[in-house]
Amino acid sequence: MDQLKVTIALILAVLLQWTLRNVAEPFAYIDFPLIIVVYAALQRDAVKAILFGAFSGLAIDALSGGLLGANGFSKTLIAFVVSELARRVYLDNLLLRIPVIAGACLLDDLLYFGLHRVLGQEPSGHVMLTVSYSLIGTTIAGTAVYLMLDYFMTERTGGGTSRRRETLSARRQSRRRNPIRLGK
Amino acid sequence: MVERSQQEVWRLTPWLAIVLCVANFVLMAFDARADGGQRVIRVWAQTAADFVQSPVTTVTSSVSGYFGSIANLRGAQGENEVLKQRVQELEVELKAKEDLATENQRLNALLNLPEKTKYKVLNARIIGRDPSIWFDSSIVNRGSLDGVKLNMPVVTNGGLLGRVTAVGPLTSQVDLVTRDKSGVGAVVGEIAGSNALGVVMGSSKRELIEMKYVPGSAEVQVGQVVYTTGQDGIYPAGLKVGEIVEVESGSATTPHRIMIRPSAGIGSMQEVGILLYEPAVKEEFEKQLVKPAKAK
Repeated sequence: MDQLKVTIALILAVLLQWTLRNVAEPFAYIDFPLIIVVYAALQRDAVKAILFGAFSGLAIDALSGGLLGANGFSKTLIAFVVSELARRVYLDNLLLRIPVIAGACLLDDLLYFGLHRVLGQEPSGHVMLTVSYSLIGTTIAGTAVYLMLDYFMTERTGGGTSRRRETLSARRQSRRRNPIRLGK
Repeated sequence: MVERSQQEVWRLTPWLAIVLCVANFVLMAFDARADGGQRVIRVWAQTAADFVQSPVTTVTSSVSGYFGSIANLRGAQGENEVLKQRVQELEVELKAKEDLATENQRLNALLNLPEKTKYKVLNARIIGRDPSIWFDSSIVNRGSLDGVKLNMPVVTNGGLLGRVTAVGPLTSQVDLVTRDKSGVGAVVGEIAGSNALGVVMGSSKRELIEMKYVPGSAEVQVGQVVYTTGQDGIYPAGLKVGEIVEVESGSATTPHRIMIRPSAGIGSMQEVGILLYEPAVKEEFEKQLVKPAKAK
């Protein structure tokens, strides 16, 4: 069921990315598909995250003036890096996810810009300014989206109090769900 | 169905990432080729996206139009008076222009001059903007079924906006003049009375475009208007590109560096016009050029 929910979230993210810039220009600074790709990678489902990255990237590239495949390349790579990171380091806490989405956004922007430069296509606008706005927008939106997704993904069997206890008790969670220990 | 262990999946993951990255890189390299064609995947994705973008644009524009019309009511009376006066002035101007047009037609007939190329303007609405912040292309709700073809110029009531770079059955993609690869042949001032010819393309400042290769000896001033020359084989001559806002003077050996503010109002456009214009085919001229090898 969770798989389906994340897939629906990704489709919604692509649709939002396609339409929101026409509603208001600042929405362009939020990379919705990247937020969902990183979320999927943080769930330690690497295959799903990589496929999400490739397909959502291509869907964005198809409507963009940039090179076809540039977003697909950068998002695939980021999905792989984040899923490898999530496999080795405990990242289930929301506070720990904020630097991850920020770093992923920065890497995505730099990769996208770099690939276009390498292939002789100069993107428009000031690089530092664009990257900074994108970093701020995607990190803030990503944090809000993760809160929402966590809310929808959590099984509501024990009521709100138990869910809050699960989210906040990082030490207990790490002992119980540490993937490295499970891997052994 | 074979269940894979978590460790097997983790072992396969790098290979999947490598394969997808290589596939995307090949696609990028293929797309970067400057053959001027369009990609099938892009065309069909745009057609699919149209079913989402069109309703969203309709809803948002009607909502913003409703609130906008309420706000506009306040100044409507004063504006009405100004417009009435303007209509009277324009009627006089129109009469003078009609007389000139009739005279022009009569003289052309006397001299047996061929009629100039005419083109129709197809109205279109912008239904989508580039989902990536790095580029400024737009999607319009007119496609090949409406007669749109690749490289047709797109204008607003202010001036030149860009050209069509991908055409689907229902939608088209428009690359704006702010793109660094736009390359519009342009002239400062009237084409007949100026030697300040150059090429207009995007700049590092998002809201400005740059005119390159204008000889340093040419006289150029801030405030002058830049028009298309029609020599690039894409845009017709005489379209307004923008107004010069900054000039870094060149010398006898170095060209001027000219910054232009586009007159098309790129940030706020909603309605555009696609010029159903196809430049004159140079086939006849090319036939006359006999290649040396064939000549033998």
